[in-house]
Amino acid sequence: MRKISLYPRLAILNIKSNRQFYLPYILTCIATIAMFYIMTFLTFSDGTLSLQGGDILFFILKLGMIIIGLFSAIFLTYTNSFLMKRRKKELGLYNILGMGKGNIAVVLFFETMFVAVGTIVLGLALGILLSKLVLLLLYKIVRFPVPFGFEVSLEGLTYSFCVFGAVFTLILIFNLISIRHASPIELLHGSNVGEKEPKVKWAAAFLGVISLSGGYYIALATENPLQAIMLFFVAVLLVIIGTYLLFTASSIAILKRLKAKPGYYYQPRHFIPISGMLYRMKQNAVGLANICILSTMVLVMVSGTVCLYLGTEDSLFAGYPNDFSVNVRAPEGNARENLRRLIEQTIAEEGYTGENTQDYISLSTQTYRDGNNLCLSPDYGYDINNSAIISIMSQSEYEHFSGESVALSSCEALLYSSIDNFGSEINLDGSRFEIVGDMNAPSLAASPSISTIIDSFCMVVSNESFEMLKEKYNDVTESWYYGFDIAAGSEEKLSFYDVLTNAPVSFPSDSLDGGYVSLSTSCREAERSFIYSMNGGFLFLGMFLGLVFLMATVLIIYYKQLSEGYEDKQRFEIMQKVGLGKDEIKEAVRSQILVVFFLPLGMAVIHIAFAFKMITKLLLLMNLTNVSLFAVCVVCTVAVFAIIYGIVYTLTAKTYYRIVE
Amino acid sequence: MTLLEVKNLKKTYVTRFGSVKVNALTNISFSVESGEFIAIMGESGSGKTTLLNILATLDKPTGGEVLLDGGSTLKIPEKKLASFRRDNLGFVFQDFNLLDTFSLRDNIYLPLVLAGKKHQELDELIIPIAYKLGITEVLDKFPYEVSGGQKQRCAVARAIITKPRIILADEPTGALDSHSADSLLEVFRDINADGQTVLMVTHSVKAASCAGRVLFLRDGEIFHQIYRGERSNEEMFAVISDTLTTMATGGEKNA
Repeated sequence: MRKISLYPRLAILNIKSNRQFYLPYILTCIATIAMFYIMTFLTFSDGTLSLQGGDILFFILKLGMIIIGLFSAIFLTYTNSFLMKRRKKELGLYNILGMGKGNIAVVLFFETMFVAVGTIVLGLALGILLSKLVLLLLYKIVRFPVPFGFEVSLEGLTYSFCVFGAVFTLILIFNLISIRHASPIELLHGSNVGEKEPKVKWAAAFLGVISLSGGYYIALATENPLQAIMLFFVAVLLVIIGTYLLFTASSIAILKRLKAKPGYYYQPRHFIPISGMLYRMKQNAVGLANICILSTMVLVMVSGTVCLYLGTEDSLFAGYPNDFSVNVRAPEGNARENLRRLIEQTIAEEGYTGENTQDYISLSTQTYRDGNNLCLSPDYGYDINNSAIISIMSQSEYEHFSGESVALSSCEALLYSSIDNFGSEINLDGSRFEIVGDMNAPSLAASPSISTIIDSFCMVVSNESFEMLKEKYNDVTESWYYGFDIAAGSEEKLSFYDVLTNAPVSFPSDSLDGGYVSLSTSCREAERSFIYSMNGGFLFLGMFLGLVFLMATVLIIYYKQLSEGYEDKQRFEIMQKVGLGKDEIKEAVRSQILVVFFLPLGMAVIHIAFAFKMITKLLLLMNLTNVSLFAVCVVCTVAVFAIIYGIVYTLTAKTYYRIVE
Repeated sequence: MTLLEVKNLKKTYVTRFGSVKVNALTNISFSVESGEFIAIMGESGSGKTTLLNILATLDKPTGGEVLLDGGSTLKIPEKKLASFRRDNLGFVFQDFNLLDTFSLRDNIYLPLVLAGKKHQELDELIIPIAYKLGITEVLDKFPYEVSGGQKQRCAVARAIITKPRIILADEPTGALDSHSADSLLEVFRDINADGQTVLMVTHSVKAASCAGRVLFLRDGEIFHQIYRGERSNEEMFAVISDTLTTMATGGEKNA
C-alpha cells in the first residue's frame, strides 16, 4: 500500500518544489484550455448559426478553434520540453539514488496526469465561467441580439477533453522517451553541457538576408490588391524564414565580426556583453525568432481586424453608396420608365421620399490594357496585372445624371481614369477616341474601391458612338442603376426593403412594355448585419488569437529569463571574485537583457512597417480604403503591445536579478 | 616588510532567527611578509574558507582587523571593493572559475579589460606569462577544450597578470590529478621565487610542503605554525604530516 501511494506523493512533491517552473506552465495550460473551450462554446452556440450572417461567423470561429487547438498542442509541448530540460538533474538524482527508469516513468506519469486532470478541470471551469461574458462581448461586436440564459456546451466539453487529453498524452510520451534515452550521468549533467562557441554559418546568414529582403521587396513592390492576396503568403513565408535565419546565423556573424576587432572588443563596455551575447544568441536565437514571429502575428492580426471593424461603415458606404439600389440588366423598350415609376410609387405608398437619387444606364465590362489600348480579348498577354474595368455612358445619360451639358463629336470622349496622366487618346478595340475633358466620375455610384483594386475607367461618348460600341460589344449588356436613400431608421429600412424586393417581382411583366434579363435589389441596411458579422467575427478572432499568442510570448520570455538567470548565476559569481563590482555586473547584464528582449520587438515593428503597404492592399479587397485609419490602428496596437511587453520585461527582469544575486 | 596583517579576527555566524551562534573564527592573528609563500591547513570546518573570504574582502568579520600595507581593508567602501580586489588581489580557486563564454586568452584578459587597459598592452602582458606557465599554445581554446591542469594555469595567469600585492589560492590543486598538481605547485613556487606573495589554503600535505610557512587552523584559531627554514620539501612533508597526526590524536593538550 505504502509503495503504491509513494509515487503520487512524490509526483505532487515534485510539482510543488518545482513551482517556479511549473506554475507558469500550469497557468498557461489552464488559460489555453479555457480559451479553447470558449472558442468551441461560441462556435457551437445555438445563437451563432441561427442568426443572419451566422454561417460566416460559424466558419470564422471554427477556424479559430482549429488554430487554437493546433497552437496549444505545439506550444504546450514546447514549454514542457523546457521544463524537462531544467529537471534532468533532479531526475538523474532519483536514478542514482536507486530509482529505476521505470519508477521515474511512473512518477512522471503521475505528474503529467495530475497536471492534466487539474488543468483540464480548472480550465473548463474557468472557461464555463467566462463563456457567457465572452459570448456577450462577441454578440455585441457582431451586433447580434444577446440571448438570455446560461448554457454549458457539451461539444465544448468533449472537444476540450479530446484535444487536451491528446496533447497531454503526447507530452507524456515525449517525457518518457527523453528519460529512456538518457543515462544517469547525462541526466545529472543535463542542464549544463559545455557550450561550444557558435560557428558562423555564412551561407545561412546570407540566405537569411536574401530571404528577408525578398519578402520585404514583395511587400513593397506589389501594387495590385488581387496579386497581393496571392503573394502575401509568399512574403510571409520568406519573412519567417528570413527571421529565423537572421536570428540564428546573421546575429552570430555580426557578433563575431565585432569580436574580431580587438580595439572594440577589449573595452570594459563591450567585452562581457559581446561574448555573453554570442552564447545567448546561440541558445536563444530560435526562441527569439519565435517571439518575433508571434509578436508580428499579434500586431498584424489585431491592427488589421481592428481597422477592418472600425472601417465597417466606410466599406459599407463604399460598397453600397445608396440605401437602396435596383440593378437591371439589359432593360428593353419602356421597361426602365415603367420600373422607375413602380419604384417611385412604392416609395410614395410607404410614405417615404427618395433622396440622392442616382439613375443611369452604363455599359460596363472587364478589359485588358496595354498603354492606351483597351481590349476585351487582346492578342497581347493578359492577366490580373493588366486587367481594367471600363464603364461607358452615353452623352445624354451623362447630361441627365450630372446636370452638365456637354458637346461631343463621334470620336471625342470625356474620361475618368484611375491612372494618372493617362494621355489624350483611348483605343477601345480599334475605336479611337480623343479625350477632350474630364468626367466627373467619383459621384458615379460605381464602387470607388474598385478603382483601387484594378485600373478603372469611366468614359462618356456621344450617343451615336455609344450605340456603335453597344453593337460592337454585343455580348456585353448595358445595365440600369437606380439608387436612392430614404430618411428612416434601421428597422423601417429593413421592412421597406421587403416591400421593395417584392414589388417588381409581383409586378406583371407584360405591363412593363418591355423586358429585361435580370433584376437585383440591394439594401445597405441588410448588408450591414452581414458585414458586421463578418468583420466582427474577424475582430473577435483577431483579439482572441492575439491574446493567445501574447500569452505564449510572455511565457517564452519568462522561461527564457529564468533559464538565463540560472546559467548566468555562476558566471557572475566568478566575475565578482575576479573584481567586477555589483553595479558593473548589473550594467553588463542590463545591456544584454535589453537587447535580447527588445530585439524581437524591434524586428517585429520593422516587419509591420514593411508589411503596411501590402496589408492596406488586402484591406482594399474588403472595401476598406482608409489608409490613415489603418495607420492609426497599427500605431495604437504597437503602442499597447510595447507597453504590455515592457511590463512583462520589468517583471521577468526582477525574477532574473533575484536569481543572479 | 609586512604586507598583510591580521589582528584578532573574529567571525560569528548567526542562524537566521538568531538562536544559534557558530564561531567560525574565534581569534586569529598573523602577519604576512612581502614575498612569502604561506599555506594554511586545517580540517573541514576549521575556518579556512571563512578566513580566505575575509582576506578576499568577500566577507566581513565580526571583529578584528585586516591591514594590507598598513591600510584596513574593512574600511573600503562597498563600491570600491571590486576595484580594490582587481588591483590588489589575485584569486585561484579549486574549481578554476573560468568563464566558459571566454577563450583562455579572454579569461586572462578579463581583469585587465575591466581595469580599462588598452588592447595593445594586453598582448604585451600575456606573452611572458603564458610562456612561463606553458599555456601559449592553448590560449585561444575554450575552457571546455583543455585539461584541468591547463585551466588552473590559466586561472593562475589571470591572477598574476594584474601584478597583485598578494595571491589568494583556495585549494588550487584540489581538482587536479597528482601530475598536474605537482606541476601547478611548481608554478606557484616559480612565481613566488619571482617575488610574488602567495597565500594558499589547502588540504594537501604535498601542496603545503612547498610553502615557506604553514599555519594550522583548528576551530577558528591558529593552532600551530611551521617555518620551512632550511628544510627540503620532503622534510617539510614529514613535519607537516607529524603535526597533522598530533592534531588529530592528542591535539587538545597542546591547544
